[in-house]
Amino acid sequence: MNSNPSEVVQDAGIVYIVDDDASVGEALADLLGAAGLEARLFSSAQDFLQSTRPDVPSCLVLDVRMPGMTGLDLQRQLIALDLTLPTIFITAHGDVQTSVRAMKAGAIEFLIKPFGDQDLLDAVRAGLAKDSSDRREASTIAALRERYASLDAREKEILTGLVSGLLNKQVAGELGISEITVKVRRGQIMKKMQADSFADLVRMMETLRRT
Amino acid sequence: MDRITRLGGRSARRFRLGLAWVLVPCIFVFDTVTNYEIAGAVFYLVAILLAVGLLSTRGVIIMAGLCVGLTLLSLAMTPRGNWNVGLINAGISIAAIGITTFLAIRILVAEAAANNARVQLTRIARITSLGALTTSIAHEINQPLTAIVTSGHAGLRWLEQEPADLDKVRRNLDRIVADAKRASDVIARVRTLARGGVSIKERVNLQDVVADTLDLAQADLRRNAVEVDIDIDANLPDVMADRVQLQQVLSNLILNATEALKTESAQRRNVEIRARAGTHDEIVVSVKDNGSGVRPEMLDQMFDPFFTTKAAGIGMGLTITRSIVEAHGGQIWAHPNDPRGACFYFSLPTKDSSAA
Repeated sequence: MNSNPSEVVQDAGIVYIVDDDASVGEALADLLGAAGLEARLFSSAQDFLQSTRPDVPSCLVLDVRMPGMTGLDLQRQLIALDLTLPTIFITAHGDVQTSVRAMKAGAIEFLIKPFGDQDLLDAVRAGLAKDSSDRREASTIAALRERYASLDAREKEILTGLVSGLLNKQVAGELGISEITVKVRRGQIMKKMQADSFADLVRMMETLRRT
Repeated sequence: MDRITRLGGRSARRFRLGLAWVLVPCIFVFDTVTNYEIAGAVFYLVAILLAVGLLSTRGVIIMAGLCVGLTLLSLAMTPRGNWNVGLINAGISIAAIGITTFLAIRILVAEAAANNARVQLTRIARITSLGALTTSIAHEINQPLTAIVTSGHAGLRWLEQEPADLDKVRRNLDRIVADAKRASDVIARVRTLARGGVSIKERVNLQDVVADTLDLAQADLRRNAVEVDIDIDANLPDVMADRVQLQQVLSNLILNATEALKTESAQRRNVEIRARAGTHDEIVVSVKDNGSGVRPEMLDQMFDPFFTTKAAGIGMGLTITRSIVEAHGGQIWAHPNDPRGACFYFSLPTKDSSAA
């Protein structure tokens, strides 16, 4: 119960609460506030969609049953807009079908009302942690893409050949250039991609191909 | 309907029973003073058949026994005629009384079973419509409970901080008090609804009943994104009615309207509740939706028991609704709504004419 100091310090991020019940929403915001988290309260899914959100790690605490757009609708909409946030659903009914659908669509937790404070805080912290690691990964990928884009066409051809496991000689033969040229170009590619080793380069290409 | 007509004929029943008891001694006298050749005792059948349905099974058997006894007594006391013919006639009479009584009792038992089944079904339908409300009631209670638990946790956390933030603790305690009140209000409304059973007529303001019913149905309406327009003439007189039963009538009609709207797009789910003074000392209430509507050929049947268009329905909702309205001396009917949907009307007398 007692919040240990590390809990309070670590959290930098925003928790968005979307609940049509003012009392529940305020209580949630107060609880998160007491645990040292910044919370923003919205009374409907539409209000949340219309809000401008700062570019910091964040997560969403979402009521399932709301008039107009339900929590599940909002989750779908966010996925469609490519605005996925780690989402914690809260609901009065432990309805299996709904929870399976929510979890399949990527919710990180499904809490049945009324829930324990620690369960919510654990889920929120896991959500914030997931979002910041997602963000780190996204920025890594963006940087990789940028570096890859700086390669010229020939370099990309050579890189593809090398990463697929061909020897310098084989790449040279396939592209109709000398083995020396391949070696020189390979050095330039490593530099442009900021790869420490050939293994590093292969890993980078693997990451790029995955996304 | 059936039941109400029967109840209405209370004096007719008393007359029938009286007639049966007067007939018995008359037949006895007739059977005794006439010759053996005249089988007067078969007329006891009339008295027995009159009594069937008015007396209990035991009562009918006792009466039949009495008739048999009187037949034998007449046989002994009849002064004139052929004794042998008299004996045969008495035998035939006694056999007729026995067979008739046996068959009548079988009909009585079957009727009682049918009646039982009907009572049971009414109860089931009541439970079913309560069941539909339960989900919405559970939600209504769970919301404040969630707020209470969460506020409690938040308050404790503010209290445990160094230094404790008492303003925030107070804010959470205030919210807990307000939410506990909210939960107990919901429970009070449910208890009024569940009390049901005995009909208690009192002066009822229609506006209040509509408001109470909508309060209970609120979660369900909101979940289905149904808009409700209320148009109730503020000058309407009160009606003498059972508040809870009237709520049941309204909530059944609202539930039906909500069901009918499920097929519509969420932008156009609309229910309109109106109340106006009618032509003769009555109030006419209408519940109108723009949902899937009713086919004209269904209008007559839909108040019948077991008539349903719902996959999971048992077709008792409107039957119960109608029996409540009629028990209040009113009527219920429906029209297709223009351009789409259905409109249900029911009337309630403003002067208490029902002696029930």
